[in-house]
Amino acid sequence: MVDFGFGLVPSSRINLDLFDKGKYEELAALEPDVRICMACGSCTAVCTAGKFEPTSLREAIEDIKNARADKALQMLEPCQLCGKCSMVCPRGINTRHLILSINKIYSEK
Amino acid sequence: MKNNILIIGGGPAGLEASAQLQRMGYNVILIERSPKLGGHLAKWDRLFPDRVPADEVLRSLLDATEGVKCFTDTDIRAINRLDKSYNVRLTNGITVLSDAVLVASGFDLFNAVRKEEYGYGIYNQVMTNADLEAYFRTGEDRRIENPRKVGFVHCVGSRDEKAGCRSCSKVCCATAVKQAIEMKQAFPEAEVFCFYMDLRLFGRHYEDLYLEAQKEYGVRFIRGRVAEVSENFDGTLLVKAEDTVASKPLKVTLDLLVLMAGMRPSASGKALGELLGMNVEDDGYFAVRSGIAAGQRSQQPGIFLAGAATGPKTLPETLADARAAAMEVDRYLTEVFPDARNYKQLVKERW
Amino acid sequence: MTPLSYLLAAQAEVPEVIDRIPSGFSYFVIPFTVGVAFMFCWLGVGLIRLLADIPKEDRIKFGKSLFIPKVALKNIKELFCDCLFHVKIWQRKPLLGYMHSAIAFGWFMIIILGHIEVALFVPARLNVTRGGLFYPIFYRYFVWMNPGHTTLRGSFFFFLMDFFLLYILSGIALAIFKRFRSIVLGMRHTTKPSFADRVALYSLWMIFPLRLLAESFTADLSGGSFLTIPVNQFWHFLFGDKLWFMPCWWAYSICLGLFFAAMPFSRYMHILTEVLWILLRNAGVKPNHPRKGVAEAEIYACSSCGLCLDACPMNVQKKNLKYSSVYFIRFLRRHNEKKINAIADKCLMCDKCHALCPVGVDAPALRRAQRATVNNTMPYNYAYLDASGSVQPSEPGRVHSRFAAAENGLSPESAPADSTQPCHANPGVLYFAGCMTHLTPRIIKSVEKVFKAAGVEYAFADREGGICCGRPLMLAGRTDAAAKVIEANKQMIEASGCKTLVLSCPICYKIFKEEYHLEGINVVHYTQFINELIAAGRLDVKKTDEKIVYHDPCELGRGCGVYLEPRAALSQVGTLVKASKEYDESICCGGSLGSLTLDTHDRAKISQASLQALLSGNPETIVTACPLCLKTFSEAVSRGENLEQHVKVKDFAEAICP
Repeated sequence: MVDFGFGLVPSSRINLDLFDKGKYEELAALEPDVRICMACGSCTAVCTAGKFEPTSLREAIEDIKNARADKALQMLEPCQLCGKCSMVCPRGINTRHLILSINKIYSEK
Repeated sequence: MKNNILIIGGGPAGLEASAQLQRMGYNVILIERSPKLGGHLAKWDRLFPDRVPADEVLRSLLDATEGVKCFTDTDIRAINRLDKSYNVRLTNGITVLSDAVLVASGFDLFNAVRKEEYGYGIYNQVMTNADLEAYFRTGEDRRIENPRKVGFVHCVGSRDEKAGCRSCSKVCCATAVKQAIEMKQAFPEAEVFCFYMDLRLFGRHYEDLYLEAQKEYGVRFIRGRVAEVSENFDGTLLVKAEDTVASKPLKVTLDLLVLMAGMRPSASGKALGELLGMNVEDDGYFAVRSGIAAGQRSQQPGIFLAGAATGPKTLPETLADARAAAMEVDRYLTEVFPDARNYKQLVKERW
Repeated sequence: MTPLSYLLAAQAEVPEVIDRIPSGFSYFVIPFTVGVAFMFCWLGVGLIRLLADIPKEDRIKFGKSLFIPKVALKNIKELFCDCLFHVKIWQRKPLLGYMHSAIAFGWFMIIILGHIEVALFVPARLNVTRGGLFYPIFYRYFVWMNPGHTTLRGSFFFFLMDFFLLYILSGIALAIFKRFRSIVLGMRHTTKPSFADRVALYSLWMIFPLRLLAESFTADLSGGSFLTIPVNQFWHFLFGDKLWFMPCWWAYSICLGLFFAAMPFSRYMHILTEVLWILLRNAGVKPNHPRKGVAEAEIYACSSCGLCLDACPMNVQKKNLKYSSVYFIRFLRRHNEKKINAIADKCLMCDKCHALCPVGVDAPALRRAQRATVNNTMPYNYAYLDASGSVQPSEPGRVHSRFAAAENGLSPESAPADSTQPCHANPGVLYFAGCMTHLTPRIIKSVEKVFKAAGVEYAFADREGGICCGRPLMLAGRTDAAAKVIEANKQMIEASGCKTLVLSCPICYKIFKEEYHLEGINVVHYTQFINELIAAGRLDVKKTDEKIVYHDPCELGRGCGVYLEPRAALSQVGTLVKASKEYDESICCGGSLGSLTLDTHDRAKISQASLQALLSGNPETIVTACPLCLKTFSEAVSRGENLEQHVKVKDFAEAICP
């Protein structure tokens, strides 16, 4: 079928239909804390790497839930695993393991 | 016969409940462990959303307690349950035989020192909401000297699983917005920032307050939790948060940082609960018989609860809760308590 | 009394010992011979494979080390102390030490003495072709003592053999007792034996009682001493002249055979592999893979004794026992990949199991290596470390401007002067607070207060934030990424021109000390630095009668061996009280970055246990010297029942300069 929409440029809209539930559940099995983020931004506020490059665990979690895992991985690449985020997270998320787990699950092709 | 009712805690809930029960003709004994009645209300300056003076509200509460036997500086030494009533020995030497006990032990403010990274007690320019109210009352605080940039940190000791405080304290958002406005009124030149996770302005007129803060006073609301504070050489504070709306880490230099310390279950209330054998839930607040249908009944027959002893409440909610508790006490003392023969059966059915 | 010279010269005309069985062989030796031959073959192949797995330079290093007198001496000392006498166990748990050394040293002596006897009396039998493999073991079966010609020399050996047999039997008795009531020997938890362990264990229990039985049956023929002779007479009293000694020798041989056959698959492998591990360890060869090469010697050196079970702070909860080092190593041996990873990730890396291990197995290092197999290949992008510009060596005082400027969106050259602290050109002392310390401002405040009070001229490297030291990456097994971070920090510090680098975070301290190799810079932890300031009279302190307990942070104590300096300094400001577990037995606070998967609930349990140990001497103040410990204990105290009123938690610098 011919697509008559404005298909020349890919949409920048988040498309939740692309969300890979299977992978997300795999991640949640590895680190259940991914479910409990309340997006307060504490992790990003203190991030050692975030001072230099956009680095945000909060955004990475959001990206994954919004079917943009590639963005999430990129967002975590500058991370130094220093653990400041785990110290300030009000929900007590095991941030370092979450970061490693996201890498583990989503960098597999 | 006039039943004795012991009310523990002389804050708004205790005062309101004793006034109501006194009016119903009971013999009310109110005890308060501190030297002064009024609880946290006595320390506050003005109340949200309408900014009525706290003293006025307290005065009317106190006026209504005419005839209530009040003992301040008094705590409970021992308590034992008889068949139906409670034999309570007070620290002032008096013993009360009470047919019903109402616990209105209130709350403690979260000890902001525990949030190490905010530097309360370490940096000179960090204060709490309670400190600021004290300033508004007295006009004196060494930290406040024509501040040009002021930040309010919401949720300090609220919604913080790691600090053991999961629940929302309910009142801090509105308090912060109120205090932000008051700050602007006191120092019109100041820039005021509110760092929030979610603005929970749920009550009547609360949204008006929020709108006023934005429109009339230009208070800047930033959605992000402050996570790191450091001190500059001149004593100003460098505050870091993420502006989660802009998805960018943010820093700002402030002259004053106000921490909105949340509500915690009262420590002395906890000790009291142990004496009475009352259960607390995981959050540290007392468990009630049923959260919806019997929010003022404890799990022990004859012991009632009112106010923030059963979780964070606004002042109007506390007063309403206290009136509801008074009704419950009255129902118990007229329908259940007098029937000596069927007492146990009635308790089983109606408690 | 026979003179000694006569003894030594006693080459009697009439032989003292006569080969009772001329062939020097009996069928009962077969089980033993097969078992021991199998074990040696297995071991030989394993050794060759292991050496082949080691990188060439390590192999050369190892070979050379054997001939370096200093190392050789250390080898000999450790072989005797660790393998035979089990000194390390003696030091902590004497009864357990006795048990281990009785079995190990006793058995060793019996084998040695057996061979000496053969060498002295029937030297031809030492030849492998004439039964050298089994003859010395079953010596008593094969010989007949010429009555009337027994010399003192012979009796001496009879006595020694009986003595060591009794010594071993006492050890075995304790071992059997320990299986059922381990707590008496000071062990709360013991390991669950595997199937091969059980086979070897039960045969080990049987070997020596059977040996006693066998030797006592033949004692009137082949001689004996204070143990075997009376037992022999007892048998005669019981059974008359007819003794069935063949079944006993068979049983003895079978048990030995079983033991040796099961050995390579059981915990008892450590008896031999430990030797290799000690040699490799002393040669300075380090494992670079959790299972291959040197690590193989290390994991097979583990004796599964289970001392790490009680050592591990996670084991306040029984459900965590399975994450202990002993099981980690067991699963490494079994190649159980899934379990290995789960166990490797759980560990707090507090290093207590390593400190307390009688064999010196560095399980935390193996866990790190295991994590590296999974995590090291993960992508990272640290381009910003290069892009943030190089430090201007001409401006050594402004070391931090490099990273501060990046944040201001400026190039380092145009960094405004006020973004940096007004500090002295060429600072003698550079203070690096580290990431975590920025979340515990009272440490920074107190350290600066101390510096000011002592008149220390210093520069604050990361006042406006720096980069991570790299240790957390290392702990997560991301060694390559860590190297990048280390390099960036190293450049900054070297460019600062400082002479002394002061660190307030033990995590930073450990890696700066071990991996940075900062030439000409004295790297010290602030506890050491402040202690020196006090000792030099530069810092005035006031002695109070405050009762202080000091918590040894893992990375500082076990990690870097700093135990005494903080205590010396603290004893100047208050009265030190003891914790029930301290120095290298100190319990991790639970806040460690080491663990990747431990959740907050489990961590809280560990904090409780650690706190309890600290509170055993009823202190008024808990002092620690690590931002993580400080935060963890502050939280634990404010959560505890009525604790907040009774005990304060302070940072080291805060306690020194209140």
